[in-house]
Order: sequence, then C-alpha cells, then structure tokens
Amino acid sequence: MAVASGRLRAPAFAAPTSRFRGRGAQALGILAILVIGYILFKNEYSWPASLTWDELPRKLDDAQDWLLEQRTEGSNPFFAVLDAFRAFCDWLVTALLNAFEWITWVGMLAASTLIVLRFGGWRAALITFLAFVSFALLGLWEESIQTLALMTAAVTISILIGVPIGIVAGRKERFYRALTPALDAMQIVPAFAYLMPVVIVFSVGPAAAVICTLIYAIPPAVRITALGIRGVTSESVEASQALGATPTQTLLKVQLPLARRQLLLALNQTIMFALSLVVIAGLIGGRGLGDVVTSGLYSNPALALLAGIAIVIMAIALDRATAAIADRTDPARRQLTDDGRKRARKITLATLGAIAVIVLAARALGADAIYPDEFETATTVFDANIQSTILGWINDGLEYIQDPASFIFGITDPVGNFILEKMLQPVQNLLMDTPWFIVIGCSTALALVLSGVRPAITAFLMLVAIGFLGVWEPAMDTASQVLVATAIAVVIGIAIGIWAAESPRVEKALRPILDTLQTLPQLVYIIPFIYLMPVSLVPGVVASVLYAVPVIIRLVTNGIRGVPAAPVEAAEAFGASRRQVLGKVKVPLARDSIMLGVNQGLIMVLAVVVIGGLVGSGALGDSVARGLQRNEFGEGVVASLAILALGIALDRVTQGRRKVQPGGGAA
Amino acid sequence: MITHRKLWAVLTALMLALAVAACGESKDDDDSGGGQSASGKDCGKVVLNEQAWAGSTANTYIAKNVLEEKLGCQVEITKLAEIPVFQAMADGKTDAVLEDWQHVDQYEQYIDKAGTVVQGGPLGVEGHIGWFIPQFVMDDHPEFKTWEGLKGEEDVFNNEFLGGDPSYVQKDKELIKALGLDLKHVTAGAEPAQVARWSQAYKQKKPVLFYWYTPQYLNQEYDLAEVKLPPRTDANKDCKDDAKEGGDPEQYKCEYDVTIINKLFSKKFADSGSPAYDVLKKMKLTNEDQEQVAKAIAGDKQDPEEAGADWVKDNQDKVDAWLQ
Repeated sequence: MAVASGRLRAPAFAAPTSRFRGRGAQALGILAILVIGYILFKNEYSWPASLTWDELPRKLDDAQDWLLEQRTEGSNPFFAVLDAFRAFCDWLVTALLNAFEWITWVGMLAASTLIVLRFGGWRAALITFLAFVSFALLGLWEESIQTLALMTAAVTISILIGVPIGIVAGRKERFYRALTPALDAMQIVPAFAYLMPVVIVFSVGPAAAVICTLIYAIPPAVRITALGIRGVTSESVEASQALGATPTQTLLKVQLPLARRQLLLALNQTIMFALSLVVIAGLIGGRGLGDVVTSGLYSNPALALLAGIAIVIMAIALDRATAAIADRTDPARRQLTDDGRKRARKITLATLGAIAVIVLAARALGADAIYPDEFETATTVFDANIQSTILGWINDGLEYIQDPASFIFGITDPVGNFILEKMLQPVQNLLMDTPWFIVIGCSTALALVLSGVRPAITAFLMLVAIGFLGVWEPAMDTASQVLVATAIAVVIGIAIGIWAAESPRVEKALRPILDTLQTLPQLVYIIPFIYLMPVSLVPGVVASVLYAVPVIIRLVTNGIRGVPAAPVEAAEAFGASRRQVLGKVKVPLARDSIMLGVNQGLIMVLAVVVIGGLVGSGALGDSVARGLQRNEFGEGVVASLAILALGIALDRVTQGRRKVQPGGGAA
Repeated sequence: MITHRKLWAVLTALMLALAVAACGESKDDDDSGGGQSASGKDCGKVVLNEQAWAGSTANTYIAKNVLEEKLGCQVEITKLAEIPVFQAMADGKTDAVLEDWQHVDQYEQYIDKAGTVVQGGPLGVEGHIGWFIPQFVMDDHPEFKTWEGLKGEEDVFNNEFLGGDPSYVQKDKELIKALGLDLKHVTAGAEPAQVARWSQAYKQKKPVLFYWYTPQYLNQEYDLAEVKLPPRTDANKDCKDDAKEGGDPEQYKCEYDVTIINKLFSKKFADSGSPAYDVLKKMKLTNEDQEQVAKAIAGDKQDPEEAGADWVKDNQDKVDAWLQ
C-alpha cells in the first residue's frame, strides 16, 4: 500500500488537464455547501438508529466464543492442521534463536558484519556492525536477538507465501484484481483487531506473533512481486515465447531475472512491514524488544523508549543492508568477467571460512550465547554502565520536556493547544455535527469532481457502510484527525518538496533523514510525542504527520523535477522570474504528482492515527484498542471495518483521474 | 547469474548450519517443559505473567523471590497482555496471574465454561478509582472532602476535570452531569500524558482535580487526597461504573465500586501438586506493600529482582504465613 509505493520512485506525470482550474472551483463550492450545512443544521440530524445494524458486534463475539469452544473441545480436525502450522512456526523461531545463540554473540556479530561486507559493501557492513554494537551497549542484546529470530522466521514465511502469489498475480490481471481488496484489508485493519482470535487458535508464543506479522507483511511481498513481473516489458516476454520457451521457462529465465530488483525490494519491504509489528507481537508472547516496549510504556517509559530506539536501529540496519545487497549483487550493473567471477567466488569462500573460524574460536574460548551482563557493567561511562547512563539521559530528557518551565515546553504546549483548538476541534465539529446526509453528499460530489464516477460511487457506498455499522460519529472523529494531519503534512511536504526540487543540496541533505523516517515502525513514532505534547489527540496527529511527510516530499520533488524542460524554457524566454516559473509553470504542471502525494499521505496518516487510539486519540482507534484491552472483540472488528471503509472512501475521493497503479492503489 | 546462484549456495549452507546447530541445541531444552511432577517437594518450573504496570511487576517479583529462594523453583516470566494471558493459562503456557482486575467475561469463558483456568482467590490488593486532588489543596479547602464541597467552587480548578486514560473504566463525564457540577471534562490522552499533566500542576503548587486510582506507585511519590463521591447504598445498588454503555447520567451517580483483585491459575498448574501452587494461593499483599515495591521499581529505578528480595527480607512474617 502506501508505504510500499512511497518507497518506489514516483512516476513522472504528463501535463495536467486544462479542466483542473474549474475542478478546483467546484471543489471549493462543495466545501462551502458543507460549511453552510453545518451552520444551518448543526447537531440536528445524527445518523438514524433505524439505519444501523447493531447486532454485528454481538454476532462476532459469539463467533469468537464458538471458536474458543471448538478449540477447547479439540475434536475439530481443522484445528489439527492449524496446530501443525503453529508447531512449525514455533519450531522455526526457536531453531533460529538457538542457532543465533549457538554461534555466540561474537559469532553473531562477525557473521552478520562479514556477510553484509561481502555482498553489500563496507558502508552497509559498518552500519550492521554498529547496530549490533549498540544492541550490546544498550543492554538489549538478548531482546534484539529474540526479535531478529522472530523477524527472520516471519519474513521467510511471508516471502515463501507472498512471492508465488505475487508471481501469479503479476501474470494474471484478473487474479490480481480479485486479490487487491483482500490485500488492502490485511494492511489497513489494525493488528489489534485480530490479536485475540489468533491467540485463541494459535495460543500465545512466537507462533502467534509470527502469524500476526504474516497478515501484515505478506501484502507488500505480493504487491511488489506482481509489480516487478508486470514491469518486465512485453517485448522480452514475446521474444522468449517466439524462441519457443515454455511459460515456465519464460518465467524462470526471463521474467524473474528481469524482475530481480523488484523482488529484492519486496524482501526489503516485507522486512520493514514485519518490523512494524514487533511491538504488537510483544503483547502475545513474541518476546524480544516488543516486550520491553509494551511492558515499559506505562511503568518505565525511558526503557520503552530505549527499546524503541533499538527497533529503529535494527530497522535502519536491515533496510540499508538489504538495499545494499540488492544493489551490489545486481548482475546488470556488475558485468563480471570470468576472472572476476572466479575472484568473487574466492572472496565468498574466504568470508564463509572466516565466519566459521571465528564462530569455532569463539565457542572454543567459551564466549557466551548472548552478550554477557558482566561486560555491560564493566564498560562504564561516568561511573555507571552505559545502559543506565543512557536511561538516565532519557529520563532527564523526558523530565525536561514535561517541565512547564522549560523552553521546549514553551513551544510544544502552545503548538499542541493550537493544533487542538484551532484545527482539530473545528474540523471535528464540522464533520460530526453537520447532518450525515450533507457530509455524504458533499464527499460523493467531491469524489465525482476530483476522481470520476466510479470512485464517487465507491466512496458513497463506503460512507453509507460506516453509518450502517453504527460508528458514524467515531468514524467522523477519526476522519477529522486524518484530514488535519494530512493538511499539515501536505503543507510541510509541498514546501520542502519544492525547496528540494529547486536545490540539489537540500535534496541531498534531506535524503538520509527521509530514509530514516520512512524506516521507523509506526508505533515508535507515537511514544515520544505522548511526552512531548501531552494534549489528548495531538501526539497521534503529530506522529502521523512525521510518518506521511517523507512520501509527500518525495512525490512533490519528483513531480517538479519531472516537469518537461520545454514549457520551463519557454517561460524563461518570456522573461519570467524564478518565482514566476515555479508558481505559474512548474507547480501547476506537477499538480498530479502533488495530488498523488495528498492521496498517499491520507492513507499513511490513517494508519498512524488509528494506532494513536492506543495512546488516547480516541475515535475508531480507541475502539480497536479496547477490543483487546477490554475484550470487546466484536466492537473492535466493527471499528476495523469502518477504518477500512474510511480508508477506501478517502482514497477514492482524492485519487484523482489517474490510473491506479499496482503498488500504490492503497485501498 | 553466477553470483545469484552463489548467494543461494551461501544461504543454503547457512540454513543447514543453523538447522544442525538448532537440533543440537533444542535437546537441552526438552526437559524444561515438565518439572511439575506430582511429588510433594519438587517445584520445577513456574511461569508467572507480569502485566504492563508497575504494581504487577512488584507482586510478580515478590512471588518470584519467594518461590526461588524458599522453594527452589525455577521461575520464568511472560509479559502477555491481560486478555491473551487467559488463553496462555488454558494452554498451560502460563501458570499464574497474580493481579487480575475482574475480567468477568473471561471468567465465564475460561473458568466456568471451559474449566481450563481456576480462581486463586483475592490477592488482598483492592483496586479503587476515584477523584483526587493534591493534599495541599485539601489543606486549604477541607470542604473538598466530599463532592458537595466542590459545588460553587469549581473555579479553584479552573473549571476543569482531568479525565483518565481513555482505555480505562470511567464515568466522569456522566458523574459531572449527574452531580450538576460546573466542570469541563478534559483528557490528556494515555496515562503517561495524564500523569504528566497533573504532576506538573502538583509541582507548581496549582490545584488540579483528576481521575486516579489505587494501588499506584505514584501515590507513594505524591501526597494526594480523595474527593468522596456519593456512596453506594442499597438505594442505588444498580449504579454503574462503565459509562461506555451510555444512557442516562443518573444511573452512574455514585462512587466507583471497589475492584477485588484476583489471583488466577492454570488448571494444569493447580492440579500439578507443585508446592508453588500452595504458596501462591496463600500469597497476600496490601495496597501499601504493592505500592512500596512498585515505587522502588518504577520510581527509584531499582532492579525488580532486588526490590522483590528487599521486600521479602523486610516482611519475613508475612512470607512465613504463605509458606505454612
């Protein structure tokens, strides 16, 4: 979905349609009607109770009870199959963990660094090495290794399931279309909603954590693989068919090798998606870093943050390592001679040999399975071990931020209050208090104007479905948070995006920051803002802005860069100033890219706003979180369905008149 | 393509190595699952679940210390969320939860119907939700001892009531309405944010009125006083606490009910004859005990193992009673 495509290079769009100006005016007119509707009929028409189907939550609860009974009786053969799968997952995670511990911490450090060095180059190897060193110094070695084992298992299974499906989907358009709604649902429905059924069926432990992760990490694997297979030009496929290749041969010898980059990107994205579920996995026995975050969130926030930092470090290292390996092993780029191949083979063997020697030596010398505590206490900085020193710093930082007398608080508090009082609350009132039929009518009209007839119909149906599920008000509450966060993200994104497009130096400076921001797991964003801006809804909003901004910046930058030279030169020839060229030529011509940025931003923001429910943002996210915390399973699922419907509606309203691309057509 | 093939060779070799290593290792692990033999003495492995708040860490580590030091058990700790842990107990993956806040639906499903989890009796700690103010405000305004004293003086608190973490049981909006108080219900979000809000006010010596509860380790750090809400009597015995159900505010017009905190055991563990079961069953703590240890852990950042051991050392008499 959004993230996946955000990391792909945005396509450059052709010239905009001349109708756009008219559409802009129409859109404004529709918004005016909405505001007038609000002023005239404020609070007069709430969603009628007769139009809701409120039995669904209870039915779902009953279904969960039934599941539990079946599981307890243990006679259903279906559960035997699931049990076998669970046993396999448990075995895989345990085996990996045992292996990681068997090669000792020294071997782990050496093996990962050397493998990345051999296939990904020294930069990625250095990052990998530093990542492991930091796990050791942060005192989170054991937890990090546990998380790594969990991730490796989840990613391996995701790839084994996702890539074949993706290959079929890439070759059969109809199959792909049929699959898309399911993939959307898997990614938009928050994991919290299905945590308990997964636990009932698969019990707690690594298997349950792996299975939850699969649900989230398989879709990007499928999508990007399909995208890669389709991206192989029809000429190559036809050429191979003309030469008499069977479909299997064409797939293995032409399509897969040519889609190699996309396949590796699929691996990279699967890892990133899997990592963002680490925290939630902690709730159901996934152990590792996620455990530390969830159990520390309320009682030891500094430690929770420290574990969050470790997750971020792991995400960055895995991202850079896989990206570098994908790049460096690209046959198209290497053009190896026979001699070169021979040498490369020798270096690989030498690397493997070195790893084996180091592992055996480490074992012979009695290195511990995990980085030993004694080392942690032995390495002291300012009279304390590194972990407690850093924890101390984080604590001091948190105290400082929360101190009303501090400088930072003087900024964050008014900003938070401003966002709440001047932005969130008015939009919330507008959406929640305006009669529902006006909101639906205006949204549908907006979709019609901006995107066309079919999207308008979809948006209409989705909004009606939300009302029908009986969650109109919380859904509008969530929508208002999404809209405000997207508006902020778009303003910042466009400003920085234009700046970066105009100045290569700015773009270069931004790249590592954007890369890092896009790598972070969603929940990690929110934790710091609970402390930075203790103003109810604001942490979720600010976190989602940060999450969405990099993608918008990239799309805007690429869009402006992609403006053809001819009109720009023509404008310059007429003596237009730089600012005029930008305002009158480049930005209007890049409109479609900017619109794509808005669209992608909305969906990304929705994902984080929903997670914000965990930390008090209320609305739909809150219902989903409660589903687990207070065992309101049915309510949680209903809220998740509403989130899905809301995501689709927001996407359709803003998708514009573009073709939906496989990777980016989120929802 | 050569490198491609080689990459696979490397990966395969690694996987093989991993598999071999794992097989070699997992044998050592096999004997750990048992240990709950029916013999009277042998304790073996006991798995306790630590919930995500400091109080639970406190009682879990107290139990861990007693079981390990006095019975020679090998205690393992899981950190599962409150609801999934029921399934973990049903499957025998977790043996005991020491602090369960009355998950009535789960009691019905797992204890009454399936019979895979058994009641372990009250821990002795009692959960209590209410309206709190700093003690220094109470000293200046003794009339705030009950909610009636708030009437007409809401401006002391800037006409604001700071609500609790939205995921907690609460009915304060309804209470404010039903009691006819001129207060605006504001929320700060999750518990850490709410604590940040009221503790800042406390430090600045500003009055603040907020949703709070015991047992909570911060009660040892801040001197707080409670504003009494209308008592529960026979007349209003149908009074509700969780306003999520909505409806008439009048039906919420009473103080929050006390929550008896229960210990729960896996049926397998209860039947195992493990001496640990008898001890955990007799284990009792007061709110004071729990808050004190929780404060040492969460407030003073003491190692939970040490904090648990310290409490056990200082409270030999209590521990002896569990061991009889």
